[in-house]
Amino acid sequence: MTVAVGRSVARSDGEAKVRGVADYGVDVVLPGMCHGALWRAPVPSARVVSIDAEAARRVPGVLAVLTGADVENRPTGISLCDQPLFAWPLVRYEGEPVAAVAAETVEALEESLGLLRVELAETPAVADLASALAPDAPLVHPDWASYASLSGAQWPRERNVVCELFSDTGGVDQAFSSAAHVVEDTYRADRQYQASLEPHVAVAEYGAGRFTLHVAHQFPFNVRDRVASALGVRPSEVRVVGHHIGGGFGAKLDVSLEPYAALLARAVGRPVRMENGRSEDLMTAQCRENAVVTIRSALSESGELLACDFDVVFDSGAYAIDAPYLASMPMFAVGSIYRVGQARVRCRAVYTNSSPTGAFRGVSGTYLVFAVERHLDHIARELGLDRRELRLRHLRRSGEKMLNGQTLADADILRECFDRAEELAPFSSLGKGPYRGVGMAACVWLTNPLAGSAVVKLNEDGTVGLVTAATDNGSGAVTMGLRQIAAEELGVDALDVVISMPDTDVSGYDAGSQGSRTTRVVGMAVKAAAERVRERALAVAADHLEISPADLELAAGSVQVRGAPSRRLQLAEVAKLAAAHGGPITGAGSYSTPMPAYAPTCATGLLFPVFPTPTYHLHVAEVEVDPSTGNVRVLRYIVVQEVGRVVNPTGVVGQIQGGVAQGLGYALWEWLALEGGRYRQRTFESYGLPLSVDVPRVEVVTLEHPDPESPYGAKGVAEPPVVPVAAAVANAVSDAIGAEINCIPILPEAVLDALASQDGAGARGVHLSRGGAGAEAGGA
Amino acid sequence: MEIEVTVNGVVRGVEVRPHETLLALLRDRLGLRGAKNGCSEGECGACTVLLDGAPIDACIYPAAACAGRSVTTVEGLAPPDGELTALQRAFVDSGAVQCGFCTPGLLMTLHALLAERAAPSEAEVRRAIVGNICRCTGYAHVVDAVAQAVGARR
Repeated sequence: MTVAVGRSVARSDGEAKVRGVADYGVDVVLPGMCHGALWRAPVPSARVVSIDAEAARRVPGVLAVLTGADVENRPTGISLCDQPLFAWPLVRYEGEPVAAVAAETVEALEESLGLLRVELAETPAVADLASALAPDAPLVHPDWASYASLSGAQWPRERNVVCELFSDTGGVDQAFSSAAHVVEDTYRADRQYQASLEPHVAVAEYGAGRFTLHVAHQFPFNVRDRVASALGVRPSEVRVVGHHIGGGFGAKLDVSLEPYAALLARAVGRPVRMENGRSEDLMTAQCRENAVVTIRSALSESGELLACDFDVVFDSGAYAIDAPYLASMPMFAVGSIYRVGQARVRCRAVYTNSSPTGAFRGVSGTYLVFAVERHLDHIARELGLDRRELRLRHLRRSGEKMLNGQTLADADILRECFDRAEELAPFSSLGKGPYRGVGMAACVWLTNPLAGSAVVKLNEDGTVGLVTAATDNGSGAVTMGLRQIAAEELGVDALDVVISMPDTDVSGYDAGSQGSRTTRVVGMAVKAAAERVRERALAVAADHLEISPADLELAAGSVQVRGAPSRRLQLAEVAKLAAAHGGPITGAGSYSTPMPAYAPTCATGLLFPVFPTPTYHLHVAEVEVDPSTGNVRVLRYIVVQEVGRVVNPTGVVGQIQGGVAQGLGYALWEWLALEGGRYRQRTFESYGLPLSVDVPRVEVVTLEHPDPESPYGAKGVAEPPVVPVAAAVANAVSDAIGAEINCIPILPEAVLDALASQDGAGARGVHLSRGGAGAEAGGA
Repeated sequence: MEIEVTVNGVVRGVEVRPHETLLALLRDRLGLRGAKNGCSEGECGACTVLLDGAPIDACIYPAAACAGRSVTTVEGLAPPDGELTALQRAFVDSGAVQCGFCTPGLLMTLHALLAERAAPSEAEVRRAIVGNICRCTGYAHVVDAVAQAVGARR
């Protein structure tokens, strides 16, 4: 019997948020605060010829104008150090900072930005993947060879290719030469904008050699490190204070405005506030990348997968950001859920003159799973096989290995996912009727293993304090999950666990809210910290009650004698006793997930080698297509998700429902199209976010296979629900119209074109050519 | 120009500039930071407040046009030290709040709906909030919260 874990405990910041008094990044106001903004490049590729800031500096109220000439402008990054603070002398993407201005008022700021004279000589842009890979392509980074990696690690990269992963089990070509069937497809995906409702914002202070940054950020310690390296100071000279985060979804993992706010604050000696306008935010958010995926499969007569050749080219944009890591992701999309026989995998991350791409919930898993699952449906159609049967025949079993050599000890859960979905709604019963269809998609996903820590203290009133730099971007991982774990450990009401906001001066290191890591990884740290508090509380109470600690337990906010709960000490009394006998009760805990074993020689360029604490997922979508408009309506959406242990039922369902909504947006409505390296969409008006009338209620089945290495068995939950959505929806749309839909998003125009082409000679291989996909790179 | 506007029941006399939005007046000058600026173009609904009881996008509404009228913000729904409204309570309990940036706007739109319709259908709720973008929840728990609030009021 638990007191907190497994219950729908309300989030601790809920009341502040519904009263409108929660303090977000945008709400931070400091005495003497002035305003800062960036002059951003209006073209994707240029050389800065000159900057005349005289008139801009003369505007009354302007306090500072900084350019690449005024700072050291050292290149930094989170993988490869290739990104300077200011475009100087090269502009590599539209929206790149060229100058930073601080002023007393927003009005003076805008006037000053308007008077800045920047002379740019435009150069030919590397506008898409195909042109980036062309042998005579201009180089986005002429000095690419001189860049150092942050960790010192080396990986294959050359010219516009910022990372190349290559893996080959051998035997692929032989399998193809003797195969009964060969099926080949090319899939394309455009970019997706995280679109957190709170735009990027930063308030910086500088004084006595130290910086303080007020942020609403998923990863405060990364802000500390990134600002420090960009400004050339020690990390400990930067303090980062976290506030409530108005959504992140990956866009708030790397720095954005923070280094510029810090620079300006040092230059003017006053707090400086910077906030992205919505268009600025959209244009520079490190969105999910566009990509082209080509899959070729060799099959036996009966439809057994014998070999797979998998090629991915994705757009890193103007800088590397996390692309060298993401280049490893195909190793977990191919051969992870389904046996594919022999496999060759190549993935190239490519520089273009476009806004840098980065982390968005589910990262490249969204389009890699889309490609794998669409391809399976295509194979089934070509060979006249049942789509579900084809998948079940190839499903991984417990003990089998992924392409990276990592053993999936519990892969039989996959079969359970398929069975439970079938119980809820038999696949063959769905998608019946004209223009209706059904699709399914499965995936395995990781729980991010990176380090976290926590301090738990027993307050003098008997409540529990929890100090951690783990951030709650809205998921509830801290305000529900960690709080519930601490409450469970110490036998107190979850309402009596008080959480601090993140502060890098105060808390131990934390790797940020990414990859569903917080409940599991920081949960382990909280558990360890709470165990120390419990031991000490029991020892103090045992002394006082003159009884062995082994005969005591923590329950109902007190220490009580086992079997005689009326003999007890309230925790408030224990805290006061402790103060006089050895000092206040605190405990610290730290954790990072041990890396699973893998085969280091399985690939070159494998910077992200393993999928720790895997979870298993199956999604089923039923859709209806309107043949006159091409619009797709989602009729039913089913998720079967393995979570280890449900810590908070409302929280888990909320993450799945919300993740699916983002996946539906990616599949159907959200289009961030590139044209000449520039985005066509620039506002919420033109970027189609899912609305209340678009998103169906998701039917959720959670499977619990508690992980003995996790707090109460809980694994990562929040990231993966977005991953298989586009795959399931695209399969359903293809089923509905009898044509292969191979591009994301599935625009109404694509559906209508596919329907129209059916009137002619069949509808196989519908490949829309969209300027935005930038994408004739499959064969390059 | 000098105007009088009633904000959360209190008459305020303020000097407003010609292009000043109601949102800027509320957030930057009256210290009411519950309403949020998500897009500055009336698309996302995070800035929704009630003007004479009707939801409007404060980010594109001129402050000067509020002269002699009554504005209610999220801070005005419940007394600062008093009980939450049934809808606020239900938002917390039903999981309708995740990051919470859209929450003030959703609450204002839905309070206006509930003032007109005692027990709206799910379709009516979804239509009412079509101008309030929520990036976190996928809307289902927001719909649940309205149902819970309606139940609690009975």
